[in-house]
Amino acid sequence: MKEMKRYSLTLTVNNETHAVVTPPNRTLLEVLRDDLQLTGTKEGCGEGACGSCTVLVDGQPVRSCLTLAVAMEGRKITTIEGLAQGGKLHPIQAAFVENHAIQCGFCGPGMILTSQALLNDNPTPAEGEIRRAISGNVCRCTGYAKIVKAVQSLAGEER
Amino acid sequence: MEKFTLIGKNMKRIDTAAKATGEAIFSADLTLPRMLIGKALRSPYPHARIVAIDTSKAERLPGVKAVITAKDMCGDKWGVFRYTQDQQFLPTEKVRYVGEEVAAVAAIDEDTALQALTLIDVQYEALPSVFTIDDAIAAGAPQLHDAYPNNINVHVKIDVGDIEKGFNESYLVREDTFSAPEDAYFQGEPYAVVAQFDQAGNLEIWMPNAGPHMKAKPLSNVLKIPLNKVRVRKITIGGAFGGRSEISPADVICAFLARKALRPVKIVYTREENTVATRQAHALVTKIKTGVDREGKVLARDITCHMDGGAYSSTGPIATSVPFLCMEQAYRMDNVRYNGYRILTNKPIRGMYRVHGRAFACGIDIQLDMIGAALGIDPLTMRLRNARQTGDYTPTKSYVASCGMTESIVKAGEKSGWKEKFGKLPPYHGIGIGCNSVQTGFPMGIRGGSQAFIKLNEDGGITVITGIVDNGQGNDNMVVQIAAEELGLTPDDVQLISADTEVTPSDPGSYAMCETFIGGNAVRLAAQDVKKKLFRIVAGEFGIGVDNLTARDRKIFVTENPEKSMSIAKAVRIALSRNESISGEGSYWPNVDPKREWVKNPYGQLSETFSFGTVIAEVKVDPETGQVEVLEVTAAQDVGFALNPQVIEGQFEGGVAMGGQGGMLSEFLQWHEGRVLNPTQFGYLVPLAIDMPKINNIIVETIDPNGPYGAKEAGMSVAMSAAQAYCGAISNAVGVYFHDYPITPDKIVKAIEEKRN
Amino acid sequence: MKLPPFEYLEPSTVPEALSMLDAYRDTVQIIAGGTEVVNRLKLRLISPDYVMNIKKLRDLEGIVDHEQSIIIGANVSVNEIRDSSLLQHKYKAVAEAAFQVAAPPLANMGTIGGNILQNTRCQFYNQSEIVLKGLEVCHKRGGAICLAVKGGKRCFSVYLGDMATALIAFDAQCVLEKSGARRTIPIIDLFTGQGTQPLSIESNELLTGIIIPKQNGAYGSAYRKLRVRGSMDYPLASAAAFLALSADGKIAASRLVIGASGPAPRIVAGAPAALSGKLPEDADFAAAAEMAYELSEGVDNLALPGDYRKKMVRVFAQRALQGARTDMKRGM
Repeated sequence: MKEMKRYSLTLTVNNETHAVVTPPNRTLLEVLRDDLQLTGTKEGCGEGACGSCTVLVDGQPVRSCLTLAVAMEGRKITTIEGLAQGGKLHPIQAAFVENHAIQCGFCGPGMILTSQALLNDNPTPAEGEIRRAISGNVCRCTGYAKIVKAVQSLAGEER
Repeated sequence: MEKFTLIGKNMKRIDTAAKATGEAIFSADLTLPRMLIGKALRSPYPHARIVAIDTSKAERLPGVKAVITAKDMCGDKWGVFRYTQDQQFLPTEKVRYVGEEVAAVAAIDEDTALQALTLIDVQYEALPSVFTIDDAIAAGAPQLHDAYPNNINVHVKIDVGDIEKGFNESYLVREDTFSAPEDAYFQGEPYAVVAQFDQAGNLEIWMPNAGPHMKAKPLSNVLKIPLNKVRVRKITIGGAFGGRSEISPADVICAFLARKALRPVKIVYTREENTVATRQAHALVTKIKTGVDREGKVLARDITCHMDGGAYSSTGPIATSVPFLCMEQAYRMDNVRYNGYRILTNKPIRGMYRVHGRAFACGIDIQLDMIGAALGIDPLTMRLRNARQTGDYTPTKSYVASCGMTESIVKAGEKSGWKEKFGKLPPYHGIGIGCNSVQTGFPMGIRGGSQAFIKLNEDGGITVITGIVDNGQGNDNMVVQIAAEELGLTPDDVQLISADTEVTPSDPGSYAMCETFIGGNAVRLAAQDVKKKLFRIVAGEFGIGVDNLTARDRKIFVTENPEKSMSIAKAVRIALSRNESISGEGSYWPNVDPKREWVKNPYGQLSETFSFGTVIAEVKVDPETGQVEVLEVTAAQDVGFALNPQVIEGQFEGGVAMGGQGGMLSEFLQWHEGRVLNPTQFGYLVPLAIDMPKINNIIVETIDPNGPYGAKEAGMSVAMSAAQAYCGAISNAVGVYFHDYPITPDKIVKAIEEKRN
Repeated sequence: MKLPPFEYLEPSTVPEALSMLDAYRDTVQIIAGGTEVVNRLKLRLISPDYVMNIKKLRDLEGIVDHEQSIIIGANVSVNEIRDSSLLQHKYKAVAEAAFQVAAPPLANMGTIGGNILQNTRCQFYNQSEIVLKGLEVCHKRGGAICLAVKGGKRCFSVYLGDMATALIAFDAQCVLEKSGARRTIPIIDLFTGQGTQPLSIESNELLTGIIIPKQNGAYGSAYRKLRVRGSMDYPLASAAAFLALSADGKIAASRLVIGASGPAPRIVAGAPAALSGKLPEDADFAAAAEMAYELSEGVDNLALPGDYRKKMVRVFAQRALQGARTDMKRGM
């Protein structure tokens, strides 16, 4: 095996800074899960096709399984663990729970973060906009109806 | 006062807040001190003799802590049934599919483990392979197992009534053949296992499972340790859909690696491994001959089905039977013959799937449409004329205690506007209907019943202990809901210990849609046992009879005089001070015929009760591209009683996605010489949010006499009937009856072209 | 799935990037959004010594409206293109293509440069070891057989980028820079047409920008893509069309480009002659679409059968032409 240079990174995750030492061939997903024990971010496919590993980077949904950790210095990363504050569910999490939008829960973290990114950009998305925004996230359990409903419950006035 | 406080209400699930915050731990999320990473070496050959395995180089690689091959095991063969024991967890003689495990390593990290795999030298002698049903049963075909001549793994034969007479008396008889390739589970969570042994030789193991006890027994057998040393632990599970029913080689390999390395080991499958090396769903070819009278009532049916089972038996006898059983439950058919064959091929192993047998169910249903068209009877009426009814016996002699099939057809028809639409829609616009019926368990030997315990605390809270497992469908919540309802507690008062073989009693597992019916009944009985004991104490204190008491709002009060009450906490304290046991116990054994056996005796009560469902789908087809736009789907199902209506709706909606949108439009495995060409989410097209139509949910309640509060099942019937409805709708839109599934756009374009010519 | 080992390069200026490319040449793999390259790395389809991340090159950002052209930096994300009102209005085919790339989160990561320079795909090639191990080595992997076409003497892998097809409809150019030199070539010339080595960019060259010439007079454009699902999927057939009308409403200039139907996007060479001087009517579009069909290659190496995909090139060529007619507007 090739000996690789190791990089000392400072990652900002959920408003906390973390010092990480890693070779360059590790994904953000691996560093979040294995080094920072933020296991709420899931690996469903490893190739960017399922959305389970979605985190927010500077507010935008990003596939952490396709992102090199070394490239993340100076970026603001939000994982699912960063939403709830003071033991209280974030409104998007509460909406998912209230509306039965979670079954097995494996896609949940990625789905919730993707939905929140949409609402940050567009507080009043129409149903079609919600469906399009979450169509990079595969859910095998729900048929998406209650996920759409959960996001709609926070979508303010429909246009 | 309302009858129930929690049951029948849209109760917020107890498990989903932890899932929404990322706190819920799935198997791959576990880390244990000194934990190693395990990886399996897989066969690159579809069929080959293993000549030699040299692991010495891998063993010498720094960081490698254990390497195992078949030599480390005793050559035991696993099978769900005594007569299907044919799979070694690491094979000694030969490999039978591309992806089969041949050796495994545990190392300090994944990179080292992967490098170690490259250092294992396996010498194979390639053998001729078979990849299709026809090739496998042809004379002179290569044989996979000595035990199954002609590669026929299972033959289920059912013969009821007099089909020849039935056909002779028929006004119209037609015969068609339907087929579909394999589909795949694509659970959200790829398979993962963590195992560790302690100094006393106790195994602790975590993995997605559909029944911890079903995992523990084979682990005990193969590890040669008693069952009480096998501790399958509870863990959050990312979906099963039938694909996590049995022991997996990964479980056994992980345990052996952990024992050999004397360190915890974690194996996490890639998405590709999850597709290839767990379970797949069967490919099917079904020939159906049906005879009807002038009114469209079925007089005789003769069905022959061949299923491609892959390399090993798995749940073969069950899989070979269930597609037929669902249909004999859904529709009346007095004279019927069924020959089901499960054929072995050099492809990955197939198991039970939520929409198992789409080429069977769709065949039965679309053939009813064809017959109806010939007789001038519309599809909905054809269903009504053949629908199963309460009080019937199925052909294989199961009594049907409650049946809302007709109600589900009628209500789905009304909601979808069937009468206004069928036959009146514009070109390439169609509507179709599908009906199905599903079991709530079946004879499962000593594992057929469920037991539950309830322990009380002095503050009035309880802990429920049950073997019920939650794969994501909400079973944990169902348990809490039932226990809290019976004892007049809030969900917060209930703690749950479940799906842990060290602690929890026997339970069938989440098989055959039985958890609510069997496990739920056991929990209810345990709670009633506790309630009876508490009432005895309170009745004694109040000097009244136990029949005059009610439990609600954490209190036990006199039914006629609610002012007079005692808190449950106080009742518990009284019991404790008197050294009086108030723990509860409940067990439920379903009324099934224990003599019924899948192959030898496929007659007798199969399941205590059955669900019945109807789906109607309306579609628009683009005749140039063959693309299908689904406009609206109406799902109606007799669930007995809806314990938690939104949970039921979630099952319906998920079922429409999996069975209809995926199962009939886009999902199938593609092959090249035994290799899956679309093992990932880029290739295997699971429906997305943007694809899903509007879904109308109709919950039909027949209040089953024996279900908990009348409940039956909700997970499967809609999924299956959705596939049938989509098939009918597309056929109706195009004006061609489709025989091969899924109905991908290329097939639609071809059908339209052929119709024009 | 794990990444293979590599050393990491992160230039902060274009000259620095170019000198790194010069130094490492064939041993370096450029990465921007990562959506394609990371997968190829994970599958071990490539094992470069160096991975050079160009995402921090600020010079490669921005959509700039110049007098004669629009210049798009290579690092502009696909979503920025989708959302650009300038492109939506004047280069509709480009915006429509961006709208249909993968799914929004992936198009947020992916760049236009990366989308254009993606490699060809094939079911017998884009696979992990579980499929490839023990399988005969095909042309694409350096062997001498084709697994998709029996007896195939060459590689039939398919170019599945959306953006290039749309850009070529506008005769867009791209800027390739290397240390001390810079060339501007038509995007169509980036493609060799060879499945094994589909791109003609030199190992020390960096794609820095896209130039779309401005249009005069009345013109319209459209991009149409076939996929099974409404999101995520690569195209199974695609077509982009550009139509410009003369004052009398007749077609003065046109370009029809097809994608997902061979190792490169292809210009339907006969289309302009078939359409020129005619009113933009379906019958003539059909003749051009027929040429697209003839030009396309339908092989059984993607999600749906090759013969079907080939037929769909005709349908989508027709629809792209119709879309361009609907989009008709005044230029500049």
